[in-house]
Amino acid sequence: MSASTRQRSFGMSRIVPTIGKDFAAQSRVVGALLIREIYTRFGREGLGFAWIVGEPLIFAIPVLFTWSAVRGSSEHGVPMMSFLWTGYLPLLMFRHVGARMLMFVRVNAGLLYHRQVTIFDIFLARCLLEVASSLTAVLVSGVLFYSLGMMDLPRDLPMFYLGYIYMIWWCAVIGLIIGAFSERTDWAEKIWQPYSYLYIFFGGVFYMAAWLPESLRGWALLQPSVQAYELIRAGMFGSVVRTYGDPAYETTILAVLTLIGLLLMRDARKYVIAE
Amino acid sequence: MIRAVQITKEYRTEGRVHRALSGVSFSVAKGEKLAVLGRNGAGKSTLIRLLGGVELPTAGFIEQTMSSSWPLGLQGGFQGSLTGNDNMRFIARIYNKPFEHIKEYVEDFAELGKFLSEPVKTYSLGMRARFAFALSLAIDFDCYLIDEIIAAGDQRFQRRSHEELFEKRADRSLILASHMGDFIKAYCSRAIVLHHGRGNLFDDIDLALQVYNDL
Repeated sequence: MSASTRQRSFGMSRIVPTIGKDFAAQSRVVGALLIREIYTRFGREGLGFAWIVGEPLIFAIPVLFTWSAVRGSSEHGVPMMSFLWTGYLPLLMFRHVGARMLMFVRVNAGLLYHRQVTIFDIFLARCLLEVASSLTAVLVSGVLFYSLGMMDLPRDLPMFYLGYIYMIWWCAVIGLIIGAFSERTDWAEKIWQPYSYLYIFFGGVFYMAAWLPESLRGWALLQPSVQAYELIRAGMFGSVVRTYGDPAYETTILAVLTLIGLLLMRDARKYVIAE
Repeated sequence: MIRAVQITKEYRTEGRVHRALSGVSFSVAKGEKLAVLGRNGAGKSTLIRLLGGVELPTAGFIEQTMSSSWPLGLQGGFQGSLTGNDNMRFIARIYNKPFEHIKEYVEDFAELGKFLSEPVKTYSLGMRARFAFALSLAIDFDCYLIDEIIAAGDQRFQRRSHEELFEKRADRSLILASHMGDFIKAYCSRAIVLHHGRGNLFDDIDLALQVYNDL
């Protein structure tokens, strides 16, 4: 076996060493990273832990109250608060996961001193924490708006959950790609800023496919985020509105993007320079 | 056994390629003590980091049949904003060792007292050295990768390190990067001298030191 192929197999084993092989060891490492991440980001005392949930809520609640007040009670026959709630909270998840993954290896290079820790473990821990924090915000704000009578419960819960599963997958994939890419070039950060901003307009946050002219609808639906939004809103509003989510397409495109992300991630390890 | 085969490491900075190591090969058997000599920038720390798996070689490969510590140096391995205790907890978790046992050992060996509940970034170099070294001894590895760190401690720490590493754990291997001739003579039986990215192996420490001094 030539030196270069040995090197490559060595590299791969450092990135995804334990999948299927030693699940217990990997979950132990990811768990330790999670606790460390919580301590370093939120501190150990008092509000630290509550802040994980509080942070996204502080974004979400004022924004949703203001918009629903400004924009009236419904749009295209859809209740405004429910529409904004299904749009804005996943947007927060997308932006937070993406931002946390920018240069996630470089800022954690000290962790790679320990062989047990792979960059994939670091990715998993950060991603899990952001997703958990965002989902708790979804739950808390949902309960709040519902109990204030500002919003109904989702009409079709299984569909709603399915949409959220795709949304989480999409956010994780974006985190994987942007994280791995940012270790390779500073362009990743330069692209992420405008992309994550423009995403507010084209990503499906504030529109539904049914509202678009037919010529644009097909293009919009190519985006995994728009697909996930369609499914979430299908679950939220039931048959009141026409939705265009296609789980088969969504699964395929996300699987392809996941593969690309994992390949980029495998490559990223080579670019890491420890402190 | 740790075997490095033709390892090359290149760094790319501003479009230029800098070759830190160029086709370096050697092996260290269980219980063997290898010194890594070389002037500043000769690639000693790079070599130690590659052996520790912190960075990957550009070419070549490293084979290991025994466990090795993380590179014990003045940098890396800890989260500065967390306390000594929290760093210990984290390391105990990832290496799957009971925290109580590790805490007890580190408290005794590192003699940091109440500093263990202070952030690691407030530690002096000597304290960091004691902390890192104590923690790695508590985890118990077959091979210790040491980048100058023992030299950073005071006399008492050096004496206790010697006790722990050379008397109680005489069967362990050691790969030690250092500038200090006396130190290396006392600890190591073989040496690799790094110069311009190339490595020369010597079985005679005195000869290795002589070559190093003439660089």
